[in-house]
Amino acid sequence: MEDTILSVEKLSFRYPNQSDYAVQNVTFQVKRGEWLAIVGHNGSGKSTIAKLLIGLLRPESGVIKLFHTVLDERTVWEIRRRVGMVFQNPDNQFVGTTVEDDVAFALENNGIPRDEMIKRVHEALRQVQMEEFLHHEPHHLSGGQKQRVAIAGILALRPDLIILDEATSMLDPKGRQEVLDTVRNLNKKQRITVLSITHDLEEVAKADRVIVMNKGEMMAEGTPKQIFALGTKLERIGLDLPFAVKIRDRLKQRGIPLSSSYVTIEELVEELWTLYLKR
Amino acid sequence: MMNSMIIGKYVPGDSVIHRMDPRAKLLVIFIYVFIVFLANNSATYAILSVFTFSLVVLSRIPLSFVLKGLKPVIWIVAITFLLHVFMTKEGDVLYQIGSFSIYEGGVKQGVFISLRFLLLIMITTLLTLTTTPIEVTDGVESLLGPLKKVHVPVHELALMMSISLRFIPTLMEETEKIIKAQTARGVDFTGGPFSERIKAIVSLLVPLFISSFKRAEELATAMEARGYRGGEGRTKFRQLVWKWTDTAFLAAVLVLAVVLFALRS
Repeated sequence: MEDTILSVEKLSFRYPNQSDYAVQNVTFQVKRGEWLAIVGHNGSGKSTIAKLLIGLLRPESGVIKLFHTVLDERTVWEIRRRVGMVFQNPDNQFVGTTVEDDVAFALENNGIPRDEMIKRVHEALRQVQMEEFLHHEPHHLSGGQKQRVAIAGILALRPDLIILDEATSMLDPKGRQEVLDTVRNLNKKQRITVLSITHDLEEVAKADRVIVMNKGEMMAEGTPKQIFALGTKLERIGLDLPFAVKIRDRLKQRGIPLSSSYVTIEELVEELWTLYLKR
Repeated sequence: MMNSMIIGKYVPGDSVIHRMDPRAKLLVIFIYVFIVFLANNSATYAILSVFTFSLVVLSRIPLSFVLKGLKPVIWIVAITFLLHVFMTKEGDVLYQIGSFSIYEGGVKQGVFISLRFLLLIMITTLLTLTTTPIEVTDGVESLLGPLKKVHVPVHELALMMSISLRFIPTLMEETEKIIKAQTARGVDFTGGPFSERIKAIVSLLVPLFISSFKRAEELATAMEARGYRGGEGRTKFRQLVWKWTDTAFLAAVLVLAVVLFALRS
């Protein structure tokens, strides 16, 4: 058996006083070191899944297992120590008055001794290239920098899994790039497992595997290439295709012989400029 | 502009006073507030003033900053002074205007009481000028620590205070944004009759309140996700260090108390 760190079985959840399920019969696994993206339009239940995973909401039925431990009231704090979550709004998750205080917050909560804390705060900030901002106050940081501090706050606990709950949706393109680069680095170099919940398909293109959610149910699962091949099906549930994929499809309609295997702009450019030579 | 109003009070520096443990500062001020009332003659007031001004000098903060802190209370001080001058009927008559007469004792009393006022304000201003709000919070939390035994939520109160401090600039920014947004929609915040201006303020406060509640909820979720479950079993990142200078300052204020007690008439 491959090392599965998260497994979700037949998960269902309804918000109080609502007849429709926000999440219905969802089953999936995440393997160690993988980057899994969950995409879906607003109200597709993707953020609800994130909240269920760290016990902020309790499922109506179904089982969530993290590290082969069933999530329940007794294990929730241990699981929260091993799973870090980055939320959407950079401001509303910044607890400390300075960068170092904020990174230390989760460590304080878990009763880590002070000497160890100082070491880990520096280490975590170095990993997200924010060490020089140690004593800065949050209102002097950009959105992307605040999200990187949030990631550092999670890294300080040395987690096995990072959940990004629309962590880049409120950032400008530069901030988004910074955050995604940081996360990709952690994923590739330190083999930290990433579960990213998003409606940005450019972000999806970077994942190893994708789950598409629609109205609380899983609609499709596969690699980014397989998912983007769904084309209009995605557009019908309110998701936009990445720019590179759209251009590719249009060019193909015009009879330009492009392969349909790439998903990023770099790959598109590469194929276009070598196209003439191939003829 | 608004930022400087509330948190711009702290003047960064590296003086002995800046480096004092906030607990020591709070204790010194606490004792000072009591012994200020021991002074009742020229000698004791002179000693008290010398002590206070030495602290200001040691803090290496320009005197003008400290005096600025006195501005809001200067009228109260002036009125107190005049009341004492006119109401106290002791000692020789110095001056006579119609039926009013000013006595020597009145002037003396007026000067003493005003001085007492000014010295108190000066020393508390010195605290806010040399200590960051978060240091004050830590100091208060530490000093009130024993009250946890009688179930006073000291840790929670301190956390509330530090989160409020952290969100002041954020909410200021938000206020400015809402003002701009509402101005763009035709709300006039600066002119117009009083009733119109109150209405304009409402259009600012309602969105601000709604967004603050939303922020609070999201912050609570984020804190829970990061393993926050109350003060129990929590370690602290910011640490207060009690140095020998802190003991020295505390001893100095106690010596001052004894001297004042001995010299008062």
